[in-house]
Amino acid sequence: MIASVQPSGLKKIGTREFEIRWSDDHTSLYGFRYLRQNCQCALCVDEWSGQPVLVRESVSKDLEGLSVNLVGQYALQFGFSDGHSTGIYTFSHLRKVCPCDTCKGRAADPQDKKFLDKSDTRTRS
Amino acid sequence: MMPVTKEQVLEALKNVQDPDLHTDIVRLGFVQDVKICEGSVAFEIKLTTPACPVKEKMQKEAEVAVRALPGVENVTVKMTAEVKSNLSPSKEALKGVKNIIAIGSGKGGVGKSTVSANMACAFAMEGAKVGLLDADIYGPSIPIMMGKPGETTIREDLIQPKVAHGVKFMSMGFFAQGDQPLIWRGPMAHRALEQCLVDVQWGDLDYLFVDLPPGTGDVHLTLVQTVQLTGAVIVSTPQDVGLTISMKTLRMLQQTNVKMLGIIENMSYHKCQNCGSREEIFGHGGAKTASEKLEIPFLGEIPLDIAVRLQSDRGTPLVVSNPDSPSAKIYRDIARALAAQISIASYSAPKLEIVETS
Repeated sequence: MIASVQPSGLKKIGTREFEIRWSDDHTSLYGFRYLRQNCQCALCVDEWSGQPVLVRESVSKDLEGLSVNLVGQYALQFGFSDGHSTGIYTFSHLRKVCPCDTCKGRAADPQDKKFLDKSDTRTRS
Repeated sequence: MMPVTKEQVLEALKNVQDPDLHTDIVRLGFVQDVKICEGSVAFEIKLTTPACPVKEKMQKEAEVAVRALPGVENVTVKMTAEVKSNLSPSKEALKGVKNIIAIGSGKGGVGKSTVSANMACAFAMEGAKVGLLDADIYGPSIPIMMGKPGETTIREDLIQPKVAHGVKFMSMGFFAQGDQPLIWRGPMAHRALEQCLVDVQWGDLDYLFVDLPPGTGDVHLTLVQTVQLTGAVIVSTPQDVGLTISMKTLRMLQQTNVKMLGIIENMSYHKCQNCGSREEIFGHGGAKTASEKLEIPFLGEIPLDIAVRLQSDRGTPLVVSNPDSPSAKIYRDIARALAAQISIASYSAPKLEIVETS
């Protein structure tokens, strides 16, 4: 299903932040560390059980984003300074984990809460 | 009497609309090269596809609109086309390719390759630059249908596509000749498709059609992740079992944000060669009903015709060998309907780019 909300602008801000403007005029600002912690690839989330494999706190606070590529027209792929790049971040997933106060407050699925990291200030209000 | 001005001509042409884009042809920038010499007016209408289904109608309307101006005696309208690109300039090798269109189905054996070959040839006959990539690793049949089996050549580290009936084509079948199968797990299929897209000297193409294997496998996933498709077409037979499975492929493509350009119903009916009676072997109209429900354009229905099969086996698709036969006409109408949908998709699709700032 084509999700109703699509990105209209994608901006990599230095090596620390990434911004997505959405078709509904919402703007999401992600730290690259936060994105790394939310990686959904098979190395970071168990494919069968859906349980997280990656220990979120183990991601270095100095982690940087080195590259961003479009995957077809439905997702993004990030290259991080820890060498990890296997995650495919679909637009709908990125919107779901938008760290802004409004989205966080609205998150209906309690599962979403586990993506919020205590040590990452950008993900907290 | 004062000669007519360019402004007056453009004002008059604002009354001519593109029925697909719902905008007048002046605002769309279609009108070019307006020349006025006393009572004679000449201009060019540059369409977004040479296979435009309303080409003649638009030409006529433009002519009438300008002729109605006072002081105009002669009107010359030249119809040309420049296909708009829908691709981000990300993949170097594909930079000359303006639109990539996937042709898929749920089930095998619904005539995807036959439809692909005839579509590609029909587009080429309209004057478009067309490529056809046979990505069906299990049953690569395009080389036979295009009449050019055998190996491809490599020049300057790039695979040279074969050319037949004005279409450049490449096939997974070239990786294994004759009755040799391709026995590949996912990663190999992925690499092979990537190579077919990126390491082939496609050159400048208005349209590159990709004939997919049936289903929703590795090839599909690689395609939607490697390139920005303009959209996809689903080929289905009218029967329920075919349609239900087609929906899976359709949903997979939609989940990856691929625009659905339309559904084509193949093997819609059979016309008896002896008595001319119409037999609906797989039922009829199922794809049309489904397309209405899903709000996807219905592009047309192709009959079961022995001539289609014969010409495919002979290596000359029917639209080329018998362009005026009833079935070929149906194919060509579908090609025009598809061309219109592709133009709409390229016109309305958002173009995403990643901007870097410090």
